[in-house]
Amino acid sequence: MTVDRRQRAHADGGRVVPNYAFTAGRTRSTAGTDMPIEALVTATDTGLAKAPGLPPESRAIVEASTVPQSLAEIGALLDVPIGVARVLVSDLAAEDHLAVHLPLVGPDGRPRRELLERLLDGLRAR
Amino acid sequence: MDSEPGDRRVSAGGTATREARDLLPLKILIAGGFGVGKTTLVAALSEVPPLSTEQQMTSLSDGVDDTSIVPEKTTTTVAMDFGRVTVDDSLVLYLFGTPGQSRFWFMWDELARGAVGAVVLVDLRRIDDSFAAIDYFENRGLPFVVALNSFPGTDGVDVDVVRDALAVPARCPIRYVDARDDASCTDVLITLVEHSLTRSA
Ligand SMILES: Nc1nc2c(ncn2[C@@H]2O[C@H](COP(=O)(O)OP(=O)(O)O)[C@@H](O)[C@H]2O)c(=O)[nH]1
Ligand SMILES: [Mg+2]
Repeated sequence: MTVDRRQRAHADGGRVVPNYAFTAGRTRSTAGTDMPIEALVTATDTGLAKAPGLPPESRAIVEASTVPQSLAEIGALLDVPIGVARVLVSDLAAEDHLAVHLPLVGPDGRPRRELLERLLDGLRAR
Repeated sequence: MDSEPGDRRVSAGGTATREARDLLPLKILIAGGFGVGKTTLVAALSEVPPLSTEQQMTSLSDGVDDTSIVPEKTTTTVAMDFGRVTVDDSLVLYLFGTPGQSRFWFMWDELARGAVGAVVLVDLRRIDDSFAAIDYFENRGLPFVVALNSFPGTDGVDVDVVRDALAVPARCPIRYVDARDDASCTDVLITLVEHSLTRSA
C-alpha cells in the first residue's frame, strides 16, 4: 500500500488531502494513504449529480455513500483490498464527489475525551 | 473547501452535505487467538451482518494456523472481520476483529492508531494464545481489557490466576463474556471505554 496520489493540487490551488492538518490544536489525520480504515465517506451533492456518468466502481461507491460508509465497508462492497478502496476514495474525494470524515484525535493520538464520553453514553443506552 | 482554524468540521475531500457534516468514526479492536470468539463477538454487537475486508502483506506467510490466510506468490491477504454500531446522531463505532499472531503486528500498528482501545478475548482452555495480543497492547500503551470467553468446561477459573499467567497489569480490567450475547458484549465495551477514560487526559 505505497500508492501515493495525494499530492494532486485542487483547482483552487489548495491542498486537497494533506498528510496532517492542524485545527485549533487538534491533529487530524487526513485522506490519501493515511486515510484510516474507519474513515467515513458520504456522497456530496456534486457526486450524486455526476454519479450516472462515473465508471462503475466509482458510481457504486458514490451511490452507496448516501448512507455513511467506512473505508472498510467500501472495500467489502467492491470486494477489493483496503489499499485499492483507499485510492478510489481519495480520487473521488479530490474531485468533490465524496466527503471524507476523519477521526478526531487529541495531541496524544487518542480519541478526544468528549468523544469517549459520548461513546459511553451511547453504549449505556443500548 | 478546508476548515477555518477553530472550525469543528473534521472532513477532507469534497463538501459534506448538511446532514453529514458532524459525522465521526471511532474504532475498537477485538483481538485474540484463532477460534477465540472474535467473529462471534463482532456479530453479536454489529447492526449489520459482519463484513470482511482484506489487507495485503508483502512477506510470505509461514503458518497454517489460520484458515483466513491465503498465500499468494509474494503477497498474502489477511482477512479481517468488522462490524458497525451507530452510537448517536453522528458517532459511528467500528469493531475490527484482528488476527492475534505476532506476525500480523505490522497490521496492528495501522489499526491501533487512533483506536479507543482493544478487547483481548481469551479462551480459558488455551490461555497462552492471547499472550501476544496482551503483550502488544501493553507495549504500545493502547488501553485494553481482557474478556474471558465462557466456553463450556471453563467454570471456576480464577481471574487472578489468569492475570498472573498472562501478566495482565493490575489496572487493566478482566471480565467474563459470552461472545454470543449482545448485552454481555456491550458490558465489555462499556468496561473498555471507562478504562480508556481513566487513561485519557
Ligand atoms: N459456548 C461458546 N461458544 C462460543 C463463544 N464464542 C464463540 N463461540 C464458538 O467458538 C467458535 C469460534 O468462534 P469465532 O467467533 O469464529 O472465533 P474467531 O476465530 O476468534 O473469530 C464458533 O463455533 C463459535 O460459535 C462463547 O462465548 N461461548
Ligand atoms: Mg474469525
